[in-house]
Amino acid sequence: MRLKVSPRLISAIVVGLVILFLVNKNWGGASISAKTISSFLVVGIALGGIYAITAGGLVVTYATTGIFNFAHAAIGCFLAFCYWQLTVKQGLPTVVALIITLFVIAPAIGFLLDKVIMRRLRDAALVVQLMVTVGLMLTFMGITLTIWSPKTGRSLPQFFQNTQGVQFGDVTATWHRIITVVVALLVALGLRFLLYKTRLGISMRAVVDSRSLAGLTGAKPSIISGSSWALGCMTAGLAGILIAPETGLVVENLALIIVVASAAAAIAQLKSIPMAFIGGLVIGLAKSFSAVYLEWGKDWAYADEAIPAAILFIALLFLPMARLETGKIRITKRTERLTKPWEAALGAGVMIAIVGAWANGWIPWISGTTFGERSTVWLGRGAGFLVLGLVMLSLIPLIGWAGQVSFANYAIAGIGAVLFSHFGGQNGDALGIVWVMLICAPLGLAIALPALRLKGLYLALATMAFAEVADKVLIRHPSMLDPSATGVLFKPVNFFGITISSSASDRKAFLMFLVIAFALLFFMLEMLRRTRWARRWIAMSDSPAASATIGVNLTTTKMMVFMLSGAMAGFAGCMIGLQRGALSVDSFPLFAGLPLVLLIAVQGVRYPVAAFMGFIGLASFPALFEVLGKPSWLTAIELIGPGIAAIAMAYRPEGAVFYSGRDLAGLLPWRKDAREEKALAVAKEREQNIGKDEIGDMGLTRPFSADKVAQLDRVLDITDLVDEHKMAPTGGAS
Amino acid sequence: MSSILSTQDVVVRFGVLQAVSQASIEVIEGRVTGLIGPNGAGKTTLFNVITGLQEPTAGKVFFDGKDITNKTPFKRARLGIARTFQKLEVFGSLSARENILVAAEQRKTWDRSGFDPAKVCDEILAKVGLSHVSEFMVGTLPTGTARLVELARALASNPRVLLLDEPSSGLNEEETEEMAALLKTFVEEGLAVLLVEHDMSFVMGTCEYIHVLDFGVIIAEGTPAEVQADSHVQAAYLGTKTEEQAS
Repeated sequence: MRLKVSPRLISAIVVGLVILFLVNKNWGGASISAKTISSFLVVGIALGGIYAITAGGLVVTYATTGIFNFAHAAIGCFLAFCYWQLTVKQGLPTVVALIITLFVIAPAIGFLLDKVIMRRLRDAALVVQLMVTVGLMLTFMGITLTIWSPKTGRSLPQFFQNTQGVQFGDVTATWHRIITVVVALLVALGLRFLLYKTRLGISMRAVVDSRSLAGLTGAKPSIISGSSWALGCMTAGLAGILIAPETGLVVENLALIIVVASAAAAIAQLKSIPMAFIGGLVIGLAKSFSAVYLEWGKDWAYADEAIPAAILFIALLFLPMARLETGKIRITKRTERLTKPWEAALGAGVMIAIVGAWANGWIPWISGTTFGERSTVWLGRGAGFLVLGLVMLSLIPLIGWAGQVSFANYAIAGIGAVLFSHFGGQNGDALGIVWVMLICAPLGLAIALPALRLKGLYLALATMAFAEVADKVLIRHPSMLDPSATGVLFKPVNFFGITISSSASDRKAFLMFLVIAFALLFFMLEMLRRTRWARRWIAMSDSPAASATIGVNLTTTKMMVFMLSGAMAGFAGCMIGLQRGALSVDSFPLFAGLPLVLLIAVQGVRYPVAAFMGFIGLASFPALFEVLGKPSWLTAIELIGPGIAAIAMAYRPEGAVFYSGRDLAGLLPWRKDAREEKALAVAKEREQNIGKDEIGDMGLTRPFSADKVAQLDRVLDITDLVDEHKMAPTGGAS
Repeated sequence: MSSILSTQDVVVRFGVLQAVSQASIEVIEGRVTGLIGPNGAGKTTLFNVITGLQEPTAGKVFFDGKDITNKTPFKRARLGIARTFQKLEVFGSLSARENILVAAEQRKTWDRSGFDPAKVCDEILAKVGLSHVSEFMVGTLPTGTARLVELARALASNPRVLLLDEPSSGLNEEETEEMAALLKTFVEEGLAVLLVEHDMSFVMGTCEYIHVLDFGVIIAEGTPAEVQADSHVQAAYLGTKTEEQAS
C-alpha cells in the first residue's frame, strides 16, 4: 500500500502548491471579513446546490443504466422551457405546472427514451453509447430552439421572488437559493435511500450488471430500466427549473451545465450520490471563492470558466486506476476486409475527381448556374466544409481504431489555427504547418494524459472539459489571439506553385489543394490500417485485457495514437486558419466541434472514407437551402437532424458507410467473400438474439427474498465478483 | 523438470468476500497442471493474479525464480506467460490471422531472435488447424473456432507457461479430443500448461498433477488418482460427479 499512497501524496502536494500559487498571484485584495466570508459561502453553497442536483441525476442514471447521459442537462433545459410555457405563458399555478412538468412530462420522456433508444445501447460499444447521448443532447437543444425561438427573451421567476429572504450576516440569501440547497440535499438523500434501501432501487442497480441477475428480484427488467430513465429525467427537470432563474432561460447556458456536472460526477467516481453532492458543492464554492476573492486580470478574464474543468482534471489524478476488465467484450457483428492499396488509391482518385469536377463546373449545380464556373462564394463554402472533413479524418485512428472517444480535436484544430498565425502563417511560410503539427501532437497527448489509466468514459469527460477551456480561456488569451487584430491573420502560402489563401482569386486552387491533401491523408490512413500499428490499436480497443496479456503496453500504445490524431488535427487547424483568413475569439466553441464527432460516428468512424461522406453531408445542407429557397422547416431539420442521425446509431452502430459498403460489395460478382461474411454475420446475430430472449424469459418470476437482496447488494458493490458468485456455490459442479 | 511458475499464499479479498485464501500452486515445465474446483472457487481469480489482471491482497507470484508480484500484465507477458480467457477475449474486429499476427508482432518488441512474424503466424495457424478461416473476422466465427483463435494468439507470443481457462467449453466432443491432443504436443515441446477445466474426463486424461480449489482454499493436490481418492475432494466437489459418471 505504501507504494500506492506516495504518488498520490506527491500529486496532492503539487496540486495544493499550484492552487496556492494561483490564489496568491491573483488575489483581488478583498479583506477576509465576516462579510466576504458569508457572501462567499452563501453564493457558493447556492451555486453548489444547483450543480449537485444535476450531478446527482447524472450519477443515478449512470449507476442504474450504465450509460453516461450527456443529454442530461439538455433534457433539464427542455423541461425548464416546458415549465416556463406552463407558468409564465399559460398562467397555470406553480404547483400544477411543477407536477405536470416533473411528474408527467419528465417520466414520459424517460420511459420513451428507454423504450426507443437506451435499451438497445446496453451492449453497445462505448463510442456508440456516448455518441447517441451526445446526439440526444443536440436534439433536445435543437427542439428547444425550434419551439422557443432564441430571438425572444424569456425569463423564469425565482420561487418566492417577492419575499425578503434570510439574512446571513450582511448577506441576504433569497428563498429561491435556500430552496435550491434544501432540495439538493433532499434529492441526494432521497436518491441514496431509493437506490440502497428499496426493492426498486436495488433492482435498478442490479440490472446494470446482469439482466438475469436482476430477474432474481422478481422485477421486470424493462420496467426497471424505464424507471431509471424516468428518475434521471425528473432530476434533470428539477435542476433545470431551479437553475434557469439564475442563468437565464438560455439553451446554451443550461445545456453547458453538463460540463460542470460531469466534473462533480467524476469526483463521485460516477457512483456515489453523496460524493456527487459534495463534488457539486466544491465546484460551487470554488467558483464563488474566485468571484469574491480573486482578480484574474485582463489576460485571463475568463479563467473563472475553467474552474470546473480544472477540478475535473484534479479529480482524475486521484481516481484509482481502472482494472483491466474481462468478460465484457462485445462481439461485433461486423464483417470487413482490408482495403487493398489499389482500392484505396482509386478511392482517393475518385474524391479528387468529384471535387475537381464540381469546382470546374462540370457537374450541374443549383440556382441557374447549371454548368460553368462556380461562384467564389460556393468555392469558399466547399473549402470550409473540406477543412472540417480534415478534422473528422483526424478522429478515425483515435476513435475508430483505438476506441478513445475524444471531443477535443476541434479545439486542438482551433489552437492549431491560432498557433499558425504566430508560427509562419503570418508570413505565408508553409514550414509553419510542420511546426504547428509538431506542437499539436504532444498537445493531443497532454489532454489525454490524466485519463490514460482510467476508463474510457473519463477520457470523454476530460476532452469535453478541455474543449470548453480551450474555447473560453486559452484561445481568448491576448498573446494567443489578439482581440484587436480583426484583419486577415494569414498571408497566402505557396505550395509548389499553388497559392492558397482565403482571397477570392485563390479559392479554386485552395479547394483543389485541400482535396488533394485530404485524398493523400485518406490514402495514408488506409495504408496505416494495414500496418502493425493500427492492428495493435484495434486489438487494444477490442480487448484491453487480452492485449495486455500478449505484451502490449497499453499506455504507450494509446500515447502514439493521441499524438498522431493531434498532429492531424493541427494540420486541419492550419487549413481552417488559411481558409477563414481571420479568426475571432469565439470561432471554436464546444458546440461546433460536437457535430463533427457525431457526423463521423454516424457515417462509420472506423472507415476513412466516412470523413469524405461527412464532408458531403455537411455540404448538402447549404445546397438544399439554396435549392428549396430557405424554408424554415429545413432550419429545424438542420438543428435537430444531426442528433436524430446520431440516435439512429442505436440501430445501426457500425455507421452508414459500413452497411452500404457491405451491401454494395455483395452486389459485385467477384466479391463472394462479402456475401459469405454477411450471411455468417446475420446468422450469428440471430443466434445471439435467441440467447438474449431466453435469458429475458428465464428468472423473471423467481422468488424474491431478503437474503437474496442482501447477496445482490454485496455482489453489486463488488462487481468483479459477479461472474464468480452470481451462482452461489452449492457444492456440486455445474 | 523444474518449477517455472508458482504462487505463494495468495489471498484475494473483495470487500467482505475472500475469493482466494492462501493459495499456493506450482507449475512445472513439460507437464499439464490442472486447477479444478466448483463454480466460484476462485480459479479465474487466481489466473488473474498470475497474469497481473488482479492485484492480490497478500501473497506472491514467482516466475522462473523471480518475484513478479508487482509487475504489470504486459511485462509478465514479455517474460513468457500467456493465457486464454473463460469468456472469450478475442479481437473481434480483426481477422483470425490478424489476431495472431498482433501477438507475433508484439513479441518482436522483446524477442530479438529475428523471427518473421508473418511466418510464425502461418505456422501457428496450420498447427491449430485454423488456416481455412484465417481471413474471417473473428467476431463472425463460431465460439469453438474463436476459442482456438485465442489459443493460437497465446502461442504466438512464444510463452514458457500457458494458462488455459476452460479451453473445452463451447467445443464439441471431437474438438475437445483435438484440444487434448494439441496440449500433449505442447508439453512435449517443453511448455508448461496450467489448466482450469470443468470437463472431468478431459482433466483426468490430460493433467499429470492437479490442485483442487474450494471456496478459495486449496483443499487437495496430487496426481489425478490421488485427487479422485481424496475424501475432502469427494465431499466438496467430486462426490456427485463421480456418482454421475458411475451411473
